Amino acid sequence: MRISAASVFSLFLAAVAAYAVVSASAWPVKAALFPMVMGIPLLVLALVQLILDLRGKTGPAEGPAMDLALSADVAPEIARRRTIAIFAWMAAFIVLVLLIGFPLAVPLFMFSYLMLQSAAGWWRSLALTAAAWGFFYGLFERLLHFPFGAGFIQTWLGL
Amino acid sequence: MLDALIDGLFLVLQWKAFSLMLVGMGVGFVVGLLPGIGGAATLALMLPFVFTMSPVEAFAFLLGMHSVAATTGDITSILFGVPGEGLSAATVVDGYPMAKQGEAGRALGAALMSSLVGAVIGAAALAVSIPIVRPLVLTFGSPELFMISVMGIACITSLSGLGARAQIKGFAMGFLGLLLSTIGQERQSGSLRFDFGLIYLWEGLDLIPVLVGIFAIPEIVDLAVRRTAIAGDRPAGKLGAGVLEGIKDTFRHFWLVVRCSAVGVFVGILPGAGGGVAQWMAYAHAVQSAKDAKDRSRFGKGDVRGVLGPGAANNSKEGGDLIPTIAFGVPGSGAMAILLGAFLIMGLVPGPDMLTKHLAVTYSMVWTLVIANVIAVLLCLAFLNQLAKVTLIRGSLIVPFVLLLVFVGSYTANNHIADLLVTLGFGAFGYLMMRFGWPRAPLVLGFVLGKLAETYLFISMSRYGFGWLTQPLVLVLIALTALVIAYPFIQERRQRIAKKAHAD
Repeated sequence: MRISAASVFSLFLAAVAAYAVVSASAWPVKAALFPMVMGIPLLVLALVQLILDLRGKTGPAEGPAMDLALSADVAPEIARRRTIAIFAWMAAFIVLVLLIGFPLAVPLFMFSYLMLQSAAGWWRSLALTAAAWGFFYGLFERLLHFPFGAGFIQTWLGL
Repeated sequence: MLDALIDGLFLVLQWKAFSLMLVGMGVGFVVGLLPGIGGAATLALMLPFVFTMSPVEAFAFLLGMHSVAATTGDITSILFGVPGEGLSAATVVDGYPMAKQGEAGRALGAALMSSLVGAVIGAAALAVSIPIVRPLVLTFGSPELFMISVMGIACITSLSGLGARAQIKGFAMGFLGLLLSTIGQERQSGSLRFDFGLIYLWEGLDLIPVLVGIFAIPEIVDLAVRRTAIAGDRPAGKLGAGVLEGIKDTFRHFWLVVRCSAVGVFVGILPGAGGGVAQWMAYAHAVQSAKDAKDRSRFGKGDVRGVLGPGAANNSKEGGDLIPTIAFGVPGSGAMAILLGAFLIMGLVPGPDMLTKHLAVTYSMVWTLVIANVIAVLLCLAFLNQLAKVTLIRGSLIVPFVLLLVFVGSYTANNHIADLLVTLGFGAFGYLMMRFGWPRAPLVLGFVLGKLAETYLFISMSRYGFGWLTQPLVLVLIALTALVIAYPFIQERRQRIAKKAHAD
């Protein structure tokens, strides 16, 4: 038996299915029917996959079809570090939007990313940030008049 | 009828209608590149502008915009792996790997040319079928529509894994997609399901953040990890040369394009199914038409047939969508429901009048679909070489732009900040799915079709009990579904036997 990251993922899916089935069992029949009918086979399939993962049984020609594959050219340790970094940037962008709203978060995020992560240099970063902001402003503010909400900070300051 | 067809053409070619169509196309082109604010949302935003227009001008403007948004949605799907139109995700699966292999030009050429063929077939279907479609649509009740949903999911799921064990993952993801679609208020009893006490979840998860998260974010992460250009270190010369090759591919696989266009028209006619379903079903058909398991394994790794099928269906479904909207006032999708609003603003009542009194207006719509697509494709082809060069730009410069597209797009779908968290959450989930070899397509299709399937199942059960299972058309559809599930195994077995016979 071998506990791998893949088996933890299968276990997670089984847990989701189990939660769905247990929750649905407390609902009226009309509401419970569909989640039950979908949840039970999902639970069974996830458990079967979990057993296969734990036994380390995956044939070489049994990967997914009709889907992309992640690149395997980068050393795993570096890939892991870069993956965490990009997810951190995405989370930071969401936090920025929450704090200062889209119209300010867009240029601030663009400039920070280009300077710190892309090492694009001052002028290039400024030019690309201006282009991104121009596109954002032109399309959403001028053409579509899209209502972007204010951030927490503006709301707090009463702006 | 021929007079009306010609009148329809001249109505569209009047300078004001034609100019408005070009304006609509310009708007459609830009918004088509953004994931969230797709065709339906733009139609809604532009609806107030049609009050002062005549019916022909209004439909030239709205349909021109809508059909171009569907075409340009494929561009970001291929170049960045980000589904431009919310529902053009199926093009990503083979289009983006082609871009990674330095064949962005070929993929774009194939997508655009197949889109054009699809649009023409869709428009022709609209023109021909209006008088005869009524009995066909009325044959399909809730039981049949439920079985078609099941068949669509089975089709994608059975083809999403190589080998019997990989099918476990495919079917599990299909069920998970269906399960995710049950989040929120249940329509019949009003019960809240899996809402975790959050008002945001009462309406259920929105398609755009889920789709964009699952498909775009893993690609962005991959690009950020590689730190190369999308096309890697491949030479620039190959990119532009591929455009013509992509166009030729459309004609090399012409019957596949025609069949996938037919799939698009058919799904478009069905109420509620929408463009995403059409694309995935066409993609599944393209995969299914592979000669053997080895040929099938090329899909997902940059097979041009995986671009041609969804490209054709994406635009042919527009014609199909319009059929029930015009003929019965029953919109086939969200975008068509908004278009129905335009009919009412114009004082037109969909139904028999559109086939008699306003037949020229109806045919002007057919012509708008054709002309808008021809112009869009010709313009795109002129700039494709330049567009394809985007794949040669350093990845770290592209990433922040694509992230912007993803998050702004997700937000603009509902104007809800929580959608950003859903996008990120499903992005992380999609990344793990790819890491551990779980296919994403069945999950998306299950999610897209889940609400519809549940409604159809509920109506069928309420009306017929279990008796609906014995209706003749349902039995045919059950048999077809079983065949669809068994097909990869049958194909594998036949191949094994043939190999053995060959060895002997």
